[in-house]
Amino acid sequence: MTTVKISLLAPFNPPSLSRTWSSQPHHSLPLLATASSDKSVRVYSLTSFNLISTIEGGHKRSIRSIAWKPGTKGESVLATGSFDSSAGIWRRWDNDMVPRPERQEIEIGSGSNGEEEEEEEWRFAVVLDGHESEVKSVAWSAGGNFLATCSRDKSVWVWEEMEDDNFETIAVLQEHEGDVKCVVWHPEEELLASSSYDDTIRLYKEDIDDWTCISLLKGHNSTVWSIDFEPTSNPSLVATGNISSPVSTRFLEMRNAAGPRLVSTSDDLTIRIWSRVPRETDGALGEHGMIPSRIRTGSIEEEWTEEAQFPQAHTRAIYSVAWSKRTGRVVSAGGDGKIVVYEERWRSGDRTSTTPGNDHTPAKPENSQ
Amino acid sequence: KGINVSSPSSDPFATSPISLSDSDSEDDAIIDRIDEQEIYDLISSISDPEHPLSLGELAVVNLPDIDVRDAPTAPFSTVLVQITPTITHCSLATVIGLGVRVRLEQALPPRFRVDVRIKEGTHSTADQVNKQLNDKERVAAALENGTLMGVLNKMLETCR
Repeated sequence: MTTVKISLLAPFNPPSLSRTWSSQPHHSLPLLATASSDKSVRVYSLTSFNLISTIEGGHKRSIRSIAWKPGTKGESVLATGSFDSSAGIWRRWDNDMVPRPERQEIEIGSGSNGEEEEEEEWRFAVVLDGHESEVKSVAWSAGGNFLATCSRDKSVWVWEEMEDDNFETIAVLQEHEGDVKCVVWHPEEELLASSSYDDTIRLYKEDIDDWTCISLLKGHNSTVWSIDFEPTSNPSLVATGNISSPVSTRFLEMRNAAGPRLVSTSDDLTIRIWSRVPRETDGALGEHGMIPSRIRTGSIEEEWTEEAQFPQAHTRAIYSVAWSKRTGRVVSAGGDGKIVVYEERWRSGDRTSTTPGNDHTPAKPENSQ
Repeated sequence: KGINVSSPSSDPFATSPISLSDSDSEDDAIIDRIDEQEIYDLISSISDPEHPLSLGELAVVNLPDIDVRDAPTAPFSTVLVQITPTITHCSLATVIGLGVRVRLEQALPPRFRVDVRIKEGTHSTADQVNKQLNDKERVAAALENGTLMGVLNKMLETCR
């Protein structure tokens, strides 16, 4: 078994003096935005690891989550979710944000000067009010036209950006029975997922102008802290390096028909993979393509099942998970201070049935402080 | 010189990789170890939110219900405190538990992970209370609530 060694590349400088709740890299620029309990967003360079700007003044309480709007060009847009019950939208022109070489040299020589003027250039565009208590997570849809927010008030809201800075509430989904901890969008469909303190995951889609819950995923025994969809590029990664066989070919056909899977992490110390049961009429199932649909055509509901659980590596709550677009690996972070990387492997030899084995192996547990 | 000189044999972290080998580090480790009595001393003086008595005097916190796993060479140490509410439907059980958690998180070194639970069979909604008390996000948000912090600060006044 090959293992991955994770080592510290560099600390971000200077660090936040209070709890950093979450971080997200920019979709195209070498930038990382972090959400801090000191009510600020700190944007760091991923090349120099220095602080580039601090965004303050928009929220009255801890900022819990942040999300870069995808696909923007020439301008960067950040959404923030705060314990003050609101979400914020911030904008900044990109040409001000990429650190110039001469500026970096100045910073290395003399500390943290030269940043104040740049900080001015983040513009607080709009505040999204509506939630009754702490906003826990914010997420942009793949195309960037929808923003989802979720809260301790048990609701998930979907906002649509009608024109610049004009956001309209298009759905208030009150299905969960507890705090909604995390929202995430499917990488290509307008499919939204949420995870909750009520131990469940719910999926939503728009059904004739009305957003509705289309699937309820039960299995976790405690709070589902974090969820992430599989990147669309992943099915081919599973096949890479494996011997092609009728079983693996069939498996990949199924995988392609089902589309991206969902990974979830929980207070119950498990990490689970969920997959959509493909509709038989979707046409990607080869010789079974003509069998009538088990799910009535026209119904928007979907059936998702638990496909696998990862080998346990964490000893305390698993707070966060992410699925790599580049490698197909999954990384988790827990209250035990561990960051663990998992790799999906084809289990060779011992499986002869049509159920292919996929072995989720922790590549190498690593401690991180 | 045995490397486990400061670790009880029941310590689950005793088999963790140990990188400290010089004697200075071991001496520090021995000095820094925290035991159940120290935890009890930190929390027994917390005032009850509605009685003019401390949690120790009310037997809400009790020495046998404190479990410390402190191995300075392990990745982290843990404290588990099980509290006994004065009545099984005590509406302030969550606030009391939060007071214990805040006191320990403020007083203990960062290597500690704190768990506060209701002692089994002593509260009618123990599962709900436990889940709230050990949800770090809810706890963090609660500590930003001015009214609640006022109550907690009053409870913790007698600890200083």
